[in-house]
Amino acid sequence: MERFRFLIWRPVQMLPVLLGVTLVTFVLVRSLPGDPVRVLLGPRARPEMIAATRHQFGLDEPLPVQYLFFLKNLLAGDLGRSIMYRAPVFEVIAERLAPTFLLIAYALVLSILLATTFATLAARNEGRFADHLVRGFCTAGLGLPGFWLGILLIMLLSVRLGWFPVSGYGETWLGHLHHLFLPALTVAIALAPVLTRNLRATLIEQMGADHAQAARSRGLTEGEVFRRHVVPNALLPTVNLLGVNLGWLIGGTVVIESVFSIPGLGQLMVASIFTRDYMLVQGITLVFALTIVAVNLTVDVLTVALDPRVVL
Amino acid sequence: MNELLTVAGLAIDVLTREGPRALVRDVGFRLNRGEALGLVGESGSGKTLTCRALVRLLPSACRVVAGKVTLSGAGDLLAMDERALTEVRGRRVAMIFQNPTSHLDPVMRIGEQIAEGLILHQGLDRSVARRRSIELLDEVGIADPAHTVDAWPHQLSGGMRQRAMIAAALACEPDLLIADEPTTALDVTIQAQIIDLLRRLRGTHGLAVILVSHDLALVGDFCERVAVMRAGRIVEAGETAAILAHPRHPYTRELIGSQPRLVPPGHYFPVSGAPAERAPRVKLGGGAPLLEVADLVVTFQRPRRVLDLVRRRPATYVRAVDRVGFALASGDALGIVGESGSGKSTLARAIVGLVTPSAGAIRLVGDERETPRYRRVQMIFQDPLSALNPRLSVAQTLTEPLIVHRLCRRAEVATRVAALMAEVGLDPALAHRRPRQLSGGQCQRVGIARALALSPAILIADEPTSALDVTIQAQILNLLIRLRAERQLALILISHDLEVVRRVCERVIVMRHGRVVEEGPAERIFAAPQAGYTRELLAAIPGTRGFSGGTPLAWQGVA
Repeated sequence: MERFRFLIWRPVQMLPVLLGVTLVTFVLVRSLPGDPVRVLLGPRARPEMIAATRHQFGLDEPLPVQYLFFLKNLLAGDLGRSIMYRAPVFEVIAERLAPTFLLIAYALVLSILLATTFATLAARNEGRFADHLVRGFCTAGLGLPGFWLGILLIMLLSVRLGWFPVSGYGETWLGHLHHLFLPALTVAIALAPVLTRNLRATLIEQMGADHAQAARSRGLTEGEVFRRHVVPNALLPTVNLLGVNLGWLIGGTVVIESVFSIPGLGQLMVASIFTRDYMLVQGITLVFALTIVAVNLTVDVLTVALDPRVVL
Repeated sequence: MNELLTVAGLAIDVLTREGPRALVRDVGFRLNRGEALGLVGESGSGKTLTCRALVRLLPSACRVVAGKVTLSGAGDLLAMDERALTEVRGRRVAMIFQNPTSHLDPVMRIGEQIAEGLILHQGLDRSVARRRSIELLDEVGIADPAHTVDAWPHQLSGGMRQRAMIAAALACEPDLLIADEPTTALDVTIQAQIIDLLRRLRGTHGLAVILVSHDLALVGDFCERVAVMRAGRIVEAGETAAILAHPRHPYTRELIGSQPRLVPPGHYFPVSGAPAERAPRVKLGGGAPLLEVADLVVTFQRPRRVLDLVRRRPATYVRAVDRVGFALASGDALGIVGESGSGKSTLARAIVGLVTPSAGAIRLVGDERETPRYRRVQMIFQDPLSALNPRLSVAQTLTEPLIVHRLCRRAEVATRVAALMAEVGLDPALAHRRPRQLSGGQCQRVGIARALALSPAILIADEPTSALDVTIQAQILNLLIRLRAERQLALILISHDLEVVRRVCERVIVMRHGRVVEEGPAERIFAAPQAGYTRELLAAIPGTRGFSGGTPLAWQGVA
């Protein structure tokens, strides 16, 4: 348990990072040309109406004051009000949270299944046909752009064969899984090759490692050596790679949600940027940042759990 | 006698791009139950491959192309299918390896690694297997077995790891233990303990042992019979005592002659079986010292974590070198002896200026502005290959210091480089090779030439031969002896090998835990060691039995 002591301090260390995220988002989103109030009220709004609405959202204050207000509200757990939805940012985000996280989890599970299966297959048959086939798939998967592949999958599996819905999120749990299969698969086809290649390489390296040889000399069969010694040692680098890629994946949902019309955070993010909904953009960015912090913390916990030598 | 293992006509090829190449040819020997056979040879002689072939654990590029390995009660191991082999491995024939650190699974507890054979193949219950692991750890001399059984490999010292590996090998009560250089990576006192342990286990378990080693003295101590291998063949085999006393093959003679303990002080090491030649006398400076080290302290800060900073815990330090002092005059040869962690390398690095001392003084005679420190003190390193930039050719490596320090004009560089290469005995044809294309001995010669390029007055050699074979070691040490005489170099030789130091140096410092435990003339220290630790070190040197009878061979040619 001593080795997990970092769990107490790491979140505290993350506070300055999150503060930095809020500041950068705040400045960036306000340096965009355009004005949320003009977008909201349309081109024919009268100047006094614009001024009144600006005052209502506190947008007439100087920028530093606005930022301090934002921080003050944040400490009270209030992310502010969305200008477009005329509702608390927190509620708007909460409504869209589930589809995005389900999509990410779904894609993650598919990627891990694909990667472990293919990497094991390739590593156990190094240099033979199965290995070459897997490596070919990997190269192809890495080369295909996600949105293009997504459209292709929709055309084949949804339009032609009618197996999966074209878009949307579904009503029931089963419906969600059914609707999200294609988008998750699209993400997995991009992510799995990265993981497969990495895992294949470390598996092969560990199969040739001295400790595996020593285990063979103690009479373990090839399968036992693989399961007991090779896999536990090979997982570490791949888990860390997965952590890095998960950050990228969270950003990548923006494209996938647009292609498959999934009512998730990514889509909301795009819409809120278009309408210059400052508060909403800040809120979503903060959620994404928190997620990435949580992912990194999870990877750290896994690393410590998998490798007794690591002390954080 | 009760025959256990017969090897006949064993031949191993490696598959290369140019087709198969022979690595081992026509190797054969017999081994009785409870007997110990030494397999001696230098790197590349095929001794390790031969051993691995016995249990069919060859690297994937290697193939057994001929031969028979008959284990009593099991038949020909080379003709067996994989399934039947797993019954032999561990249960009949077990193996221990040179590097216990890399041969233990870093993410599995010690106890589990010992017990897995028992659980998977003998169907033992987890708790029973665990109890057996604790017994085994106790048997191999681990002080706290009930605690160590749950330890991770990285929590143990090198010697304890090797003991744990022996425990894992013995778990299924094998008849034969193949020990592949089991002590090469360990300090000399630990080495002696491990060899004692193996000797004891032979008695209690009736274990037959094949001991693979480059160290003839070690094999002489441990084995009744020995086979000497060279270039994939056994060149000589027989009773150990007979072979050590009357070697017939010239290579065996060379191998025995290169043993430092058989070389009289003040002589070159014999090369290719010729008797030891007297080395030229060195004019000892005696007068004003070139280098004075006084009360030198080098500390390293232990890494601090965020938590330590938050709690304002003071930084903790390790004293790698603790109040060391000595003086060195021109032409002196000083040996620094100690085990790993004794601070001898840190001391050397501090003198060269690679680490900053925390206290004390390093005084070099002469004007610092006129001749800076690196022009007066140079160092050669333990691992000759990694001490050279892999991208630079030999000529480029030797050119660099000359150009950087503007020691000669561009036009003269080529002649200077050629002269340096000639001085260290490198063939001029090697000038455009890169380190990877050189042998270990050649790499070390390049390292020495690079150090000499700056014409230093002091040369520090940090374990210059511990990565090399004995015959190559003899050549490199001869080179150092000759350079010292020719250039009036002051030499600091750092080594864990007391016999080497004794032959090369007149004065010796023994270090332990950063401190000097004993200092004095080499002959006095070897004849009458004062400190308990020095006596311990001397007692641990192998070869006290095998070479003890009669006049050592190499001395016979000396007047």
